[in-house]
This record gives sequence, C-alpha cells and structure tokens, in this order.
Amino acid sequence: MRAFVIILVLLASIAAGHAVVLFGAPSFIMGKAMAAMEERDVPTHAFALAKRMTPETQRVVRPSPDLAYSLCLFDFSSSDRQPLIVHAEPWSDYSSVSFFDAQTNNFATLRDSGEGIDAVLLPPGASAQPNDLVSPSEKGIILIRRLAPSDAAYREVAGIAAGDRCEVTTDTGDGE
Amino acid sequence: MRFILGLLAAVLVGLAIGGASALIAAGLWPAKGGIGGISAVTVDGWRADLSVGSETANPYTRARVARHGLLGLAQSEAIYFVRSADDKGQPLRETCTYRLSGKGQDARWWSITLYDADSRLPMNDDDALSVDASALGEGAWSVMIAPQRPEEAEHWISSNNAGTFDLTLRLYVPSPALLENPARSVNAPRISRLGCVGDA
Repeated sequence: MRAFVIILVLLASIAAGHAVVLFGAPSFIMGKAMAAMEERDVPTHAFALAKRMTPETQRVVRPSPDLAYSLCLFDFSSSDRQPLIVHAEPWSDYSSVSFFDAQTNNFATLRDSGEGIDAVLLPPGASAQPNDLVSPSEKGIILIRRLAPSDAAYREVAGIAAGDRCEVTTDTGDGE
Repeated sequence: MRFILGLLAAVLVGLAIGGASALIAAGLWPAKGGIGGISAVTVDGWRADLSVGSETANPYTRARVARHGLLGLAQSEAIYFVRSADDKGQPLRETCTYRLSGKGQDARWWSITLYDADSRLPMNDDDALSVDASALGEGAWSVMIAPQRPEEAEHWISSNNAGTFDLTLRLYVPSPALLENPARSVNAPRISRLGCVGDA
C-alpha cells in the first residue's frame, strides 16, 4: 500500500513539475527579456530605437537585420493604471506597431497605411472605447517594426523615430 | 520515517523528471531548434506554426516561441517558416556551400535570414545574413550560402561562424490566399548542397 502511495505521489509530482515549467516558461522568459532591456536602457513608457541589428547588437533571439526596431516597455502598475498614448511616425515602407503581454502573446498589431499609427492602450479590466486596446497584463512590450534593409534606410528611420510616442496620458478627462 | 523519506524522494524526483520532460518537449533544453519545431504546416522541409504569437498557441508552442522567437507576430501580420536541412534532408552546416533558389512570394514583403543553433545571428562582420524581396524581386532568384562569398554569386548569405544553422523565411502581410492555405500558396525555396569542406 505504501509503495502504491509513493508511486502515485511520484506520478503527480511529474505532472506538476511538467505543468509548472511548461506554463511558467513564457512569462519567465519574457520577464528576463524585459529586465535585460531595462538594464540596456530601454525605457518604460517611451520608445527607444534599437541600433541596427547586427550580430553585435542583437538583444533578442531571431532579430531581422532588415528591420529597424523601436521598443517601449509598459507597466501599468507603476503609472497608476493611466492609459498609454502610442504614436508611430509615418514610414514610407512596411511599418507596424505590435503589442505583447507578459505571457508573450501578440495581442494586437496595427499597420501603417502611410499616415502613421495611433493607439490608446488601457490596463487589464479597463472599460474601453471603440478602437482602444486593452492589455491582458499589467506589463508588456510595444514594438515598432520598420522595413529598413540598408544603412541609408536605417538612418532615415533614425531621423523620424524621435517623433514616436509611448507615454502615460495626463488627461484627467475634466474638459480643460 | 522511511515512508516519509520515500514520499519526499518521490516528490523531488517527480518534479525533476516533470520539469526536464517539459523543457525537452518544448524545445527549451537542449537549447537548439527553431520556432517551427512543433509544426502545424510543413512545405518542402519549411516548417511553420501558425499559432505563433497567438493566445490559441498550445503551451509547448508558446514556450518554444518564447525561447526561439520572442516577440514574433501573429500570422495575420507575418508567417515564419524555418528550415534546418537541405533538399536531401542533411543538416545545414557552415562547412558546406548551398544554392538557395526560389521565386517571389504572395506577401507584401519577405526575407530569408540565417541563424545559428542558438537562434542568434552568427558572429561575423560580413553584413550578409539576410536577403529580402527588395533585392531579389518577384521573379526567379538564386542565392549562395557559404562561409565566404563565392566569386560567381550575385546574392550571398554568409554562414561564416554559424556552425549548424537554419533559415527563417518571413512573410509579412501575407495575402488572403496565403493565410487560408499556406501549404498551397507559399513558394518554398529549394536548398541544394553544392559541396562541403573535405568532400572528395
């Protein structure tokens, strides 16, 4: 009987260990990636244009050397759950803004149609207006991709990226 | 007392086995392989999992993508195909020379990039780790893959310092036909091995 109990405990522990690692891995990896980005001066609630992707500058796995990446970390727990205003300057070629939650899910992607990209990101559980985005998690990453397969194209991106915005709104909604 | 120790050992051994089996099954350990390891679609050796980036991805795919393709886009924006073997099924290796050939894709923009076994751009300064639609156009094209640029190559991807590597085909803004049936609509590039160091 005792041997049977031990075997049952062993099987249950195998299942538990398997599930904990499997379901915990994405958020663990995402958390480590976000911490590493913070250490490398990727700001929270502001976009930073990453250096042109090369073997020396790569910071995440499988970057595309043909794309210029701008990153913004968001953390609603540090901003009193205020909405986040997101703006990407227009780009002449492929450009998108993608939103990732703490579980690595790409919960929204907006594509540039030549006029730039604007969005409002709300914290989990917030009531949203049409076109507003609601994040499934308190923390996450917003990523602008712009096609820039040459040094010249990257320099053009660098020229406009300062106009990108990823900032907490200070609008109190009182009509002022 | 022996029974308690037995229970404790069962818990520890069970957690270790369960954790290790999850790491192996999800492709997290050993840390090799691409995002297409658990494939939903395979076309002539190119593998894609269309649930990348999606909340519907199964936990194994999600864990593998977190490790090998963090910040990957959902399929409505981009489809990623990965290939790690040549047309004869042999692993892609730095010590060999290959001809990669194909034609245009039914997508707004596409590219093919080489990554090493750690899903990184290999450490070299050749500035030749990727080719894309803007360079290759919409017709038939051919690219050489080799550690040094072959004299006859118009287009070249450097495998210098790559060891065993794979290629990722990115299809940005895929057409409705491509989204509906990637297996039928993607133009899967071919990879012919031309020779290897040490071949007779």
